[in-house]
Amino acid sequence: MAEVVLQLIGASCRHYISAPLLTKPWRKILGPGIAKIDLELHRGAILGLVGPNGAGKTTLLRMLSGILPLQKGIVVSTSQHRGQTIERELTTSLELRKIIGHMPEQVRWQGKKSVLDAMIEIAAMRGSSKHRILGLIKLVGLNSRIDSPLDELSQGMRQRLTLAIALLGSPKILLLDEPFNGLDPVAAQAFTQLLRKLSEKGVSIVISSHQVSGLIGIIDRIALLHRGQLLIEGEIKSVEKELELSDRFDLTGTSQPPSSELIEKLGMQLIDSKIDQDVWQMQVKGDANGVLKNLINEGIDVESWQPHAPDLVEMLCSSTGLRVEDVGLEITSSAFLPLLQREVEEE
Amino acid sequence: MSGKESLSKITALIIKEKMFSTRMLLMFPILLLFIPGLAWGFSDPNIILPGGHRPETPMEVLFYSSLGIVFGGTMCAVLMSFDGVSKERASGVLEVKLAQPMTRFHQTLALVRGTAIAVIIPVTILVVISIFIIRYRMGVWPEVMDVVVHIIATGLILTWYTLFTLIASSKAREQGTAIAFGVGIWFFFTFLWALVTSMVAFSSGIAIGQESDPSWIALEGTLDLFSPNGVYHHILESRLPDVQRGVSGWQIGIMAFAWTILPLWVLARRMEDLVP
Repeated sequence: MAEVVLQLIGASCRHYISAPLLTKPWRKILGPGIAKIDLELHRGAILGLVGPNGAGKTTLLRMLSGILPLQKGIVVSTSQHRGQTIERELTTSLELRKIIGHMPEQVRWQGKKSVLDAMIEIAAMRGSSKHRILGLIKLVGLNSRIDSPLDELSQGMRQRLTLAIALLGSPKILLLDEPFNGLDPVAAQAFTQLLRKLSEKGVSIVISSHQVSGLIGIIDRIALLHRGQLLIEGEIKSVEKELELSDRFDLTGTSQPPSSELIEKLGMQLIDSKIDQDVWQMQVKGDANGVLKNLINEGIDVESWQPHAPDLVEMLCSSTGLRVEDVGLEITSSAFLPLLQREVEEE
Repeated sequence: MSGKESLSKITALIIKEKMFSTRMLLMFPILLLFIPGLAWGFSDPNIILPGGHRPETPMEVLFYSSLGIVFGGTMCAVLMSFDGVSKERASGVLEVKLAQPMTRFHQTLALVRGTAIAVIIPVTILVVISIFIIRYRMGVWPEVMDVVVHIIATGLILTWYTLFTLIASSKAREQGTAIAFGVGIWFFFTFLWALVTSMVAFSSGIAIGQESDPSWIALEGTLDLFSPNGVYHHILESRLPDVQRGVSGWQIGIMAFAWTILPLWVLARRMEDLVP
């Protein structure tokens, strides 16, 4: 496993929300946020931070980027010096911001300012040279738009500009909040290739998203966030295995579908099935090498076969033990969840 | 690049952006009418003001022309700064900026300096034009010290209004709220302060508006210390002969300092706690 570059240990940051009382109209209490998270970022690894709306993905990224202060916990930076691992606690957010590039979700760059001027302004805060600025503009494919006013940029171009700005200080860690929003498929493909190149250069990347499927093939590790808590984190395969979501396959066919007895006899588990006129679809769990071979041997006409990539809902349901509607609509008391209870009266 | 270099560079970029903005282009003719326009009018050798008063020295003309700064200059400062924070906060650009390795205090300082100087430069140019107009109409130059005091006081009042509006902009999530707050403060100190003074005088048993009554003059002079416009006029009056309003120079100095430091401190604290 690649070396750790940054660790969050017991990190908490909860937002203050208004809770006025007649006697205390200005009263504020601690609301949602991030609660006691331990997270490691590895050199050159791409971590997918997934969770439903309001899980705390943006808050966690803001904590990592030094925008929001840690109320509890510490941040430790790890580096190698002459073969020795040096761990150093980062006590100020300024230290953190020096090593991190942050790309917030859908920044709406606007005004008459040109792309170059917008970058020069932010570069002045980092002390980046004009040579670096021009190189990054070229890297993200905005060279032909260098003098265009920000008002004339499409959403995809704005995303590229935000990425270029995030890369200004040659960061060790790159934080991307929903980076694929607003990008067309071609731009998204180019963006993915760029991320791969950066990770090969040793940049640790964190991508937040509420869709797991879009991240498969890009990320090396996955972290599942729900209600401000990290439910599980690790390499995709190990997370799938731990949540019992591995070795699942989607099958389709047009002739006679396999019966549930046959599936059981072949040592597989039927998870879901759907028969629509002549076409049948099934999701089964079984040995990766045996599923297709066994079915064909039994004379079942399988038209397509592919491993099933778990989605966010399945992962959440599996890790919390709840049903879809309970997780999605949060109708179940938090006491049923394997989550920390919040003290709502904290001030 | 050191922190100070970054601060200066960003300040310069903000000045350039704001000073050549469409908003300034729209405000400039108004400022032109208000500042050199009033100087032209008040330096008329035949002018007689209400009460039979006649401006006799260049400093007196500058003092009366300062009405243009109180009305036009401060409104320009409000209009230039009402979206200083709120616009970038709403668009997400503020989050990008706050993620950079520059302290929030330095970012705040750059914003205040950049915005205030973007208003101060054109206003100062118009004040200088006013001085030439006064020389042309009255045949005398104002004293160097008069000009220096006038320009410093003008810079201060424009900075104060910039600070008030930026505080509003940092508080408001919507730009409409920020501009309403900025214009509201401007309206309060420019038009309604007289009402506050009258109410305090009434409750203290002092006859309102009696210019020959020393207690009214003293009360008005003291209360003016609690208004930025009042402090501005106190500073300018310090260069006028025969003006005694019961307020000493050190009191004016302390209040000018307070009007600068307190809003800056409030804004800096607000920016430190700001969640993008």
